[in-house]
Amino acid sequence: MRKKYTIPTYFAFGWLGFAVFLAVFGSFIPIDGYQVIHGDFIDSPPFTSGHWFGVDSNGYDIFSGIINGARLSIFIAVVSVGLGGFIGSLLGVTAAYYRGRYDSVVNTAFNVVLSVPNLVLALALVAVLATNVDINEAVPTWRRLITLVMSLTIVIIPILGRIARAATLAWSGREFIVAARSMGMRDRHIISRHIVPNVLPALIAVGFLAVGVVIIAEASLSLLGVGIPDGASWGGMIARGRNDLEYNPHALYIPIIALAFTVISTNHVGDVLRGKLDRREGRL
Amino acid sequence: MKYRVALKNLAKAVLVLFLVTFSISILVRWLPGDPIEILMPFATEEGRAALRAELGLDINVVQYYFSWLFDLLRGDFGVWYASTGDGGGVPVRSMLAVALPRSLLIMLYTMVVSIVFAVPLGIFLAYRAETRTDKTISNVLFAVSSIPSFAIGLALAFVVGVQLDLLPVIGYVPFAENPSEHFRSLVMPVVSLSIGLIATFSRLLRVDMIATLREDFVTMASSKGLSNMWILWRHVLRPSSSTLMTSAALQMGALIGGAVVIESVFALNGFGMLLTTAIATRQYLAIQSLVALIAIAYIVFNLIVDVLYAVVDPRVRGGRG
Repeated sequence: MRKKYTIPTYFAFGWLGFAVFLAVFGSFIPIDGYQVIHGDFIDSPPFTSGHWFGVDSNGYDIFSGIINGARLSIFIAVVSVGLGGFIGSLLGVTAAYYRGRYDSVVNTAFNVVLSVPNLVLALALVAVLATNVDINEAVPTWRRLITLVMSLTIVIIPILGRIARAATLAWSGREFIVAARSMGMRDRHIISRHIVPNVLPALIAVGFLAVGVVIIAEASLSLLGVGIPDGASWGGMIARGRNDLEYNPHALYIPIIALAFTVISTNHVGDVLRGKLDRREGRL
Repeated sequence: MKYRVALKNLAKAVLVLFLVTFSISILVRWLPGDPIEILMPFATEEGRAALRAELGLDINVVQYYFSWLFDLLRGDFGVWYASTGDGGGVPVRSMLAVALPRSLLIMLYTMVVSIVFAVPLGIFLAYRAETRTDKTISNVLFAVSSIPSFAIGLALAFVVGVQLDLLPVIGYVPFAENPSEHFRSLVMPVVSLSIGLIATFSRLLRVDMIATLREDFVTMASSKGLSNMWILWRHVLRPSSSTLMTSAALQMGALIGGAVVIESVFALNGFGMLLTTAIATRQYLAIQSLVALIAIAYIVFNLIVDVLYAVVDPRVRGGRG
């Protein structure tokens, strides 16, 4: 009883594919870079020839900004969710498998991190990690990028780690695990051959939701003035476009639409995957 | 039996609180650069020594942590240093006295508005489950629940504030000063924070209501001839509300984060703005106290919800829960 995909699902996959395509191959599209100033076109509305999405009040082309922003926002999201998911599931799976004191330490650590709201935690971590010893010297962009990814990774670790822990707890009581253990199979092999393949689908489903969380967090940090500077990411474009709402609203709403579509799509894909998973569990 | 469980939960919460605040004080210590240089660039030698002692830079982290903790318990949240001044700072407490009520009011309004709209909507969708109306509205709600609140806020600020010029785009007016202006200044922030919550809450309530509607006592009630409205509101809503309550507690974290950004979008100068400014200007003691307050509020809120479960759903009160 395979359920057919609905129209929103096709739309979500399509949009994500398109955004990832822009992020990966954006530099091959023959248009000017996002930092080129088009002095003659300042404040042009969308659908101006040569500038599909218009030009903002600094003279930056919004379409090339969106492409570059896709690269940065998706890079940040994928790297921090990938890294955070890896570390989190490593901790979560081993904690649930070995139980005991190690498990309670890991679980308490997750609870400690989770007790500070995502955005507040990311804000505090970015502030700590991205400060120069000499306060008058500007922090270079690459260092901001690294600290941003690190902070968001720390935010993601307990979110995915908890899912991994809960799923492992459910699976490690199953008969085939007990059988494998009583046959003398090594713990390492039980985890890698029997537990990880079963835990992974749930993690991937929640991972899509986490990508949405990270994209929103990155944009919020940009709005608060601690993100990637110079309007390079979608959040940065929103933060910059917000300053001249009155004369140039498209500089604000185009990146907002791009960001909202992406988050809606990742959430929808995560939801669909989780639904499929529930049906699979139901059949077992 | 149940008291033992409650005590255990309480002990866990206290442990987590202790670890959070301790980690924050280590983290604050890690801030690179000399805090004295940043807080008092033009201070005299004595001034520097006094500040060094006040910030606890001359004692180890553990001693420093406990002195901070006892200050906090006595209601002393540290000093907010003026960047130009030589010594004089403002107590963080007096800044909190201005900022905290604003943020609490915004969150209270948001929660009330969200629940007031989400409950009837969820009940309506459950009543119409699997019809075309339900499917369309549910899909729209799903999309809406994914849109970040700042996006809604900025869009509202543009359309309602700038183009239609109906509501003030920035600023906050206290209730005591002018009640009608107070509500006008908070309409857009509260709406932008609640739309996502309404969507999330009504979807959760819909699922739980549908499950409860399948139970035997509902069939019984409707064969007794009770009206649909009576059954939905008086019989089905209460046993279906536990997921909604858990989610409300969990969403508090997202709400605090969302409020930080929304306060910055609408320039409301609340708690979130205070925190952002504290981080930007490296107010060591203030950062530590503010983040600790958020963590405490979040944990306490979750504990309260645990208790509320038992109030709403008597089944949890027994040994099985």
